[in-house]
Formats: sequence, C-alpha cells, structure tokens
Amino acid sequence: MPSSNSVRTRPNSGKLLSLLTPYWRWIALLVGLTIASNALNLVGPQLISRAIDSGGTDYSLLTLTEQFLGLAAGVFVLTYGQSIVQTFAAEKVARDLRAKLIATISGQDFAYVQKVTAARLLTNLTSDVDAVKSFVSQAISSIVSSLFLILGASILLILIDWQLALIVLMVVPIIGFSFFFVLSRVRPLFRSGQEALDWLNKVINESILGSSLIRLINSQALEYDKFIAANGESKAIGLRIVGMFSALIPIIIFMTNLATLAIVAFGGHLVISGTMSLGDFTAFNSYLGILIFPILIIGFMSNVVAQASASYERIGTVLASPPPEPWGARDKALRGDIEVSALTVRYGDKLALDNVSFSVPAGTRTAVIGPTAAGKTQLLYAMSGLIAPESGHVRYDGHTITDYDRQALHQQVGLVFQDSVTFALSLRENIAFSNTVDDSSIDLAVRTAELQDFVASLPGGLDTIISERGTSLSGGQKQRIMLARALALNPKVLLLDDFTARVDTRTERKILANVAANYPGLTLVSVTQKIGPIEDYDQVVVLMEGAALAVGTHAELIHTSPEYVQIHNSQQSTDDYALQA
Amino acid sequence: MHYRLNTKDTNQSKEPLRVGLTRLLPVMAGEGRNVALAFFAIIVSSSTTLTAPLIIAHIVDRFIATGDYQGVFVWSGILLGIYLIGLVSSYVQSRTMGRVGRRILFNLRNAIFTKLQELPVAFFNQNKSGDLISRINNDTDKINQFFAQALMQFLSNAALIVGAGILLVSLNPRLGLAALVPAIVVLGATRLLSGWVKRTSFASLQTLGGLSGEIQESLANFKVIVAFNRLDYFRDKFAGANQANYAASVKAGVASNIFLPLYGLAANLGTLIVLAYGIVLISNGELTTGLLIGYILYVTNFYMPLRQLATIWASLQLALAGLDRISEVLALKSDMAVVPSDNTKGDAVMGFESVSFHYPGGQDVLTDINFSLERGKTYALIGPTGGGKTTTASLMARLYDPSAGTVRLNGRDIRAFTAQERADAIGFILQEPFLFTGTVGDNISYGNAAFADLADGKLSQKLDEAGLSRLLSRFDQGLDTPVSASGDAMSLGQKQLIAFMRAALRNPQLLILDEATANIDTVTEKLLEDILDALPAQTTTVIIAHRLNTINNADEIFFVNGGTVTPAGSMESAVDMLLNGQMRS
Repeated sequence: MPSSNSVRTRPNSGKLLSLLTPYWRWIALLVGLTIASNALNLVGPQLISRAIDSGGTDYSLLTLTEQFLGLAAGVFVLTYGQSIVQTFAAEKVARDLRAKLIATISGQDFAYVQKVTAARLLTNLTSDVDAVKSFVSQAISSIVSSLFLILGASILLILIDWQLALIVLMVVPIIGFSFFFVLSRVRPLFRSGQEALDWLNKVINESILGSSLIRLINSQALEYDKFIAANGESKAIGLRIVGMFSALIPIIIFMTNLATLAIVAFGGHLVISGTMSLGDFTAFNSYLGILIFPILIIGFMSNVVAQASASYERIGTVLASPPPEPWGARDKALRGDIEVSALTVRYGDKLALDNVSFSVPAGTRTAVIGPTAAGKTQLLYAMSGLIAPESGHVRYDGHTITDYDRQALHQQVGLVFQDSVTFALSLRENIAFSNTVDDSSIDLAVRTAELQDFVASLPGGLDTIISERGTSLSGGQKQRIMLARALALNPKVLLLDDFTARVDTRTERKILANVAANYPGLTLVSVTQKIGPIEDYDQVVVLMEGAALAVGTHAELIHTSPEYVQIHNSQQSTDDYALQA
Repeated sequence: MHYRLNTKDTNQSKEPLRVGLTRLLPVMAGEGRNVALAFFAIIVSSSTTLTAPLIIAHIVDRFIATGDYQGVFVWSGILLGIYLIGLVSSYVQSRTMGRVGRRILFNLRNAIFTKLQELPVAFFNQNKSGDLISRINNDTDKINQFFAQALMQFLSNAALIVGAGILLVSLNPRLGLAALVPAIVVLGATRLLSGWVKRTSFASLQTLGGLSGEIQESLANFKVIVAFNRLDYFRDKFAGANQANYAASVKAGVASNIFLPLYGLAANLGTLIVLAYGIVLISNGELTTGLLIGYILYVTNFYMPLRQLATIWASLQLALAGLDRISEVLALKSDMAVVPSDNTKGDAVMGFESVSFHYPGGQDVLTDINFSLERGKTYALIGPTGGGKTTTASLMARLYDPSAGTVRLNGRDIRAFTAQERADAIGFILQEPFLFTGTVGDNISYGNAAFADLADGKLSQKLDEAGLSRLLSRFDQGLDTPVSASGDAMSLGQKQLIAFMRAALRNPQLLILDEATANIDTVTEKLLEDILDALPAQTTTVIIAHRLNTINNADEIFFVNGGTVTPAGSMESAVDMLLNGQMRS
C-alpha cells in the first residue's frame, strides 16, 4: 500500500501546482510581495547588530530610529498587501474550481450523478475545494517566505562563519526527511478522511430526507447509531492524523534547538578563541531565531499541503471523468413520430427492458400499462435520453435519438416524472423551468394543469416561494406542477409517468380534456395504472418484467392479452362507479 | 412552529471575547482533565522556551566573555536538558489538544445531529438540507481547527506573552514598560476590529451554507435538471451562489488578515524602543550589553507569540461564527413535547375534537373538525387534491400539532403519549416513501425492534407468516436486492411496496395509508387488500386514495375538502361528491 501511494502522490503535488498556472500574475505578485516583506525583515537583525556593536557611541540614535521606523512601516504595508493578494488569489482559485466542477458535472448525464452520488459531489464542491483554497491562502506565501528566510538566513550565517553555519544547517536535511516520512504516511489518511466525510454527508442527508418516516417509526436512535458509526470513523482517522502531526512539530523544534546549542557551545568557543566578535555571535543567534520560525511554519503547512493534494486528487477524478457520448446536432422541429425498436436496458445484472419494440405515430395517444417494476419508468427515461440503452434504438421522426441536439430534443419532449420534484424557488420558476418559456406559455400550462384556482389562492400567486421538497404542497398539487412544467415547454411529445396517480378522477378528466384542447397535435405516451381513462387511446402497450407482452387497442387486447384482461378485471368495480358518474 | 434558520441579523454578532470564550466552554465539557494536562504541558514547554535565552545570556556574560570554556560546556549540557523537556512537553501538548479537538468535533456533530432528530417535521420543511449538512460538517470543523491548532497555541502563546512580559518588566521596569507600549496599543485596536472580523466571517459561512444548499438541491434532482434543459439555469444559480460566497469570503479574508501585519508592526516598534532606550541606558552605564541581547530576545519572545495570536484571533472569530450557526440549531426547541394528561374521553382509537390547523403564516387548512374512528373498522378519506387529506392524516400521527382542538388516541390526548408509544400504536405509510441505502430487507425491518436481532433467513419467515412474501417477487434479488442512494434506482411502486411491508409488519392499532398504493398496479394492489384483510380484527385502517377500487371495502367514507371533513355516507354518494361535488373555488 504505502509504496503504491507514494508513487501516486508525486505527480499529484505537481498537479496541485499546475492548478495555479492561470493565476500566475496573482501568484507572482504574491510571491513578490512575500519576498520583499521578508527581505525587509532580514535587515532588522543587521540594524540591531550594528547598534549593539557601536555601543551607542558613534551610532546616532536618530538614524537608528529613522531606519527602523521606515523598516517597520515597509513591513506593515508589504505584509498586509501580501495577505490581501493571497485572499483574492485563494478565493478566485476556489470559485473557479467550483465553477469548473459544476461545468464538468453539468456536462455529465443523469447516470453519472446517480453513480457518483450527490453526497460525494457535495463534499467535492465544499470541503475538498476548501482544502485546496487553504493551500493557496496559507501554504503558498508561508512556504515561499519560509524558504526565502531559510535560504537568506543560511547565506548570512555562512558569510559570518561558514564552519559554524554548516554545523547549524545540518538540521535542515534531518527536518526535510521527517517531513517526507510523515507526509507520505498521512496523505492516504487524508483521503480516507474525506471519504468518511462523504459517508457522513450521506447519513445526514438521508436522515433529513427521511425525517417524516424516522419520526413516525421513532427510529431516531437507529439513525443516531448510523451517524455515530460514520462520525466515529471520521474521528478515528482524525486521531491518527493528529498522532502523526503531534510528533512532527516538537521534533522539528527540538532539532532547531540543537542548532542553537551548537552555536552556544561551538560559537562560544570561537568567541573565546578570538575568531568571532560578540556582535557576530549575537547576530548568529538572531539569524537562527529567524531560521526556526519558517521551519516551524513549513511543518504546519505540510498539513495543509497534504490535505490539499488529497482533496485535489478527489476533485481531479471528477474533472477527469469522460463526458458522455456526444449527441448529434439535429435541431429540426419534431413531427412526433416515435419508434422504439428492440430496446434493451440493463441495470447491474438485471434487464430492466428486454427487446421492447413499438411505434407511435405523430399526434396519437399511447398508454403503457403493467405491474410495478415492469420497467415502465426506464422506458420513459430511455425515450427521453436520460439513460442510454444497452442495445436497440429510440427514433424520433426516423432519426435515432442521439442524432439530435440534446437541448433541442429536451425542448420538444416533455417528461412528467413519477416522483414530484420541486425546487426552493417561486412557483413561476418551478414551472418555467427553462429560459425559453414566456408568460403566455406559463399561463396556458397552469390552466391546462388546473392549477389556476390554487395559484389564485396563494398570497403571492405565481411568485410564492415553494420549499425545497415542496412539503407544504399536497401530492396532487406537486404532480400538477410537474405537468405544468413539462407543458410550459410547448412540447411536441409528452411522456407522462403515472401522472394521474395522485390526482382525483374529476380533476384528471378535466386535465386530459384540457391537454387535448390546448395542445393539439401532441403525441402522448402515458404510463398509467388505470384502464378506464385509456380505453379510447390509439394503442396500449402491456409491459411486464421488462418485455412488451402485447401492443394493441383496448378492444383488441381485451380479447388477446390475458395479462391485460387480468389488470382489467382487477379494476372492474371502479369502472362501475365511474360509469354511473 | 417557526424553525427557519438564516433569519438572524448578522450585526448582532459583536460580543466581547470573554463572552465568546465562555460560550466555547460547554463544548469542552468532559475534557477538563485533558485540557489541564495540555495546559500543564504548555506551561512547562513555555517555561523552557523562556529559560533558554536566559541561560544563553548567562553563558555569554559569565563564561564566553570571561573565556571559561569549561563553564560553557557544563551550561550547554543544562541547555540540552531543558530542550529535551521542551520536546516531551510540546509533544504531550499538541497530541492532547489535537485529540481534544477531534473529540470536540465528534461531540459537536453528535449534538447537532441529536438535535436534528429531536426537531419535528416542520423544521425540515423550512430549511434546506444542504445548509444543514454544511452546519454539521463545515461549521463544526472550524471549531475543531480552533481547538486542535489554535487553542493550544492560544494558551501557550498567552503563557509565553505573560511570562516574557513579567520578565521584561522585572528585569528592568522602565525598559520593560516601554517595550510593552506598542502591545497595549495593538490590543486596543484588536478589540475594535474583532466585531468586523467576526461579522464578515459569519457572512462568509452563511454564503457557504447557501452554496451548499444550492448544490445539494440541484444534484439531488439532477434528472429533472437534465430533462428540462435546466443545466444553464443550474449553472447560473450556482454561479450566483458561488460569486456571493467569493465576495463574502474576500471581505472576510481582508478583515481577518489585518491582525498579522498589525502585530508585526507592534513587534518592530517594541524592538526599536528596547534598542534605542537600551543603548541610552548602556551609555549611562545602567545596562550591560549581554543583558540588552537577552532583552531583545525577550522582546522577540513577547512579540512573536503575539503575532501568532493574531492569526489565532482570526481563527477564533471564525470558530465563534461557526458556533453561532451551530447554536442557532441547538437553541431550537421542539414545540411538540409530551404533555401529561390523564383526561380520557371515549374509547375510539382515534378522535378529532374541534380540530383546526394551519401551517405557519398560512390560512386554515382544516377548520373545526370532529370525528371518531372505531376499532377494527376501515375508513376512507377522499376528496380533491389539496383538500386537506394528508394534513388530516398527519395530525392523526402527530407529525404536527393542531392549531386548536384536541386529537385523541385511544381516548387520551395524543400529546400525552411518548414518541415510542405513538410509533407502536400508529402505522403511517407516507405519500412519498423513503428508502435508506442498504437492501430491501434492511428497509423492511428498518426501525422494527422486534426484528432488530433477527438472524438471516428469519425475516423472510416472518414475511411468510404475514402473507407478505408474494410481494417480494417484485424485487429481482428478493430481500437482498440492493437499495442505492436512497432508492433512486427503484420505481415509486417498488418503494411503496417496501413501505407497505415495513408498516404492515409492525402490527399497529391504527394503520394510515396516504395514497400508499397510488403507483402500484391494480393486480398487486389486490394482494395488498388481502393482506390488509388478514390484519388482526381490531386494527383500524385509514385509507387515502383516488382510485375508487382502493376504497371499495371501506366501512365509512369521509369527504375532505375546503377545510371540512364530512361523512359521505354510501360509496355511491361519495363518488357523486367526488366527481360532481364541492370543489374548492
């Protein structure tokens, strides 16, 4: 494990730096300011040394004060400038990295997000980006200034007395090795730490989405156990990281202290033997003081760098994931002919759709009926291009779905999902869920979905904000909002996934009549459970276990398809009442 | 019933340090011994840091200046011993506090999560899940960082500063006091600036929560975004939140970065004062060169940790801002406490007495509802969408409390029952079934105490006994069928089947099905009817449905619309009401 990791980590820290390329102006400015402020800092001990050696006799106090004040003011301006620049640079890097991630994710298809999971992508976009941001906002200037100070102080040490300097500087490679040793071990830990965070996100998320169920069953304790497991894992990894870093820093301090000791013992000897002045001895001590601090800083920063490169690696896998197969450029207006031929869709080992074929002429109405888990939803997903089939085709007007421009197709094929998805936006934005929708389209869609009375009853009308999961709306209202959303596109083809399940019969009839009247020429494919409303449809597809068992009109199927008859019989009593009404 | 977060005015977050630190105290509860140990280690390691320059000055003045190499050698040995003590004590300190930080992180997350579990459904209706996740993960981490990295530095630096300050003054009062003047000025400035820093930090965390909420909502509903060409819009919305976070973070950065340069300035001024004043004193013969060298080291030892304190200060402000956001959640109280009541009335399993209900700030959804449900009967609630059926059912299960009136379970005020008693008595199959990541079997036995310790294979036996195993054929791997990412890959009908099995196996006295079979095909639904029929005779069932065959077997039908619940009488008149009847206008 460790060996393979260290092989993998080296190019990654390179990657972390390559991230900075577009910001080279900012980084250059940052590095420049950092070096300038530190260079100025190095002058300090020089002034002190001169002042002490002069013993106050031939060195004007006024000059000293002037020089030192100038120095202090300069350092102040440069360091604040530097931190402002690094704030801007870091926030820019974070913002752009998030934007890049979102651009990549939004270029992916639904299957990708389903596979990677929203929880993981959320960690990527928040915690991982944050780690990279800390790298820019803390590590770069700290490391640059530390290296500069170490280098500068080392040169000055060598100039004063090269033998003593060499002894003192022997600590540097020892410290370097300690870093390397700890960092190579801690990086995989950081990665697992972020994975534990994904897990934590998932548990929290499920406990929030399932909050009603949890309260009904009173299973808070169970959720808490799950949470504790994830949180405990996160803690365990955190403690291991702490264990490694808490040894690192004291060892480094001790090493630098040994260097001080060398100065006192060996330098003392030099002063006694007359080869070094007391002023030089003091300066030597001061420069070592300058040397210690940056070494410490590098120690702290190694933590930040390790975390950032682990996070950037995770971000990198998202950025590097190949985009889905591109579609064509066909953007002609659809007539509405649909052909489903030999369509096979697989989920894991299971066939969700098995060689399904049927065709829908433009302007006709087709119903898809079948038991739970027959593959009806998958059929609609494949027909709208949300999932790619393993084999077979969906054709619109004789052209394979992938010949079309994605946007152009989604613009003309409206899908009403089975589950209600609302966003924490105004009702208007929830319905006009595309930039091309105008007010008259919204109005027509609202009236067709029989939402006008509901909208009128809201204090803010269409501008009322709906909560994230639409929890204050009834199931039927949400489902009709979903319908209005699809209709607002003025689609040529409308795919309904069990749309009427939560709408009462009376409203359902009105809506279907509205659709026929307001959207003439619409091609309709409706997945449904109820036979009553589809008896006059142009065709019915009976889907079972992923296979299309029968295709025909109600009148035909009632004589030819035993499965259809079974479904029909199970609904007889309903039809009696429906007929009376 | 107002649980909405993020309404807090960010201006009120200015408070003195003492109050801020006191608020961090409860977070450290139980860590007293560790913090004391770390503090002791800090004192030891700081003392070694402070004594070392003293010894060096001693070596210079006493031995190097006099050419006594033997003395240099002996005292170097003492110095080494002190450095070794420093090594051990600083290791103990950083390890202890690092661990304390991780444990605090762990405990804080637990505390918020526990609080989330205590809060009622209304809380979740009013807040974005992404923002809540951000509070549990990001905000707590800011506090962890403060404890793991900053607090120990804070204490050790504070110890160093106090120690160096005392030494500075005691060695030479005039020189020492002069050296401290810039520090006093800069501390005053810090007080003035802290409010600004914390305010901007709070705003920055707030926008991070907003960003997280935006991302969470969009990614969880990605299929709708794709199918409706909303990717551009998603990117725009995100870009807005991203830019807002950028702007707020830059402001926070500019604010919190003021301290370091300021403290650096103070350090330089302090050094200048000592140097200039020291040289004057030397020329007057009141100070030795060796002492001045030591003195300058002490000034460094005084101001260097002060500079460190500057970075820590910003980190403290960030932690306090995070703590504010966490406290917002922790301070929420559920208004659905258990209210003791022995007042019993009737023996109906469920009764509504003049019940009215409205959502916060909304109009009445239900007005003055009265009915009672008898044991062993089946009831149906029908009516147009938005008429109040789900609300009625939610009140029966105390997902909400009525705004007025009383809901009675077995004759007693439902608020008098504990959550566990309620959960045992009432089964509620929600309109939107929720599945946890795991397997179908996990989800069926979820939260069922009777099945918690069931051995493999026993669950399917139980399902057999309850006549539920036929439903499992709808899942390709039966009980072991995996459920990934909250059941995203399952159809709604399958989810409803699982929810049905989950509720039926619990044998509740009152079973509520809120459009629980709406997406299940009618053939399978017949099976469910048989299963419901086979439930113990005293089980009361409440069915909400649009499909008429679903409510065929009801003993009594209620028509729910426009805030009223009226008995519909026969099936015929119910159908009549539904098809031709009183729509809300």
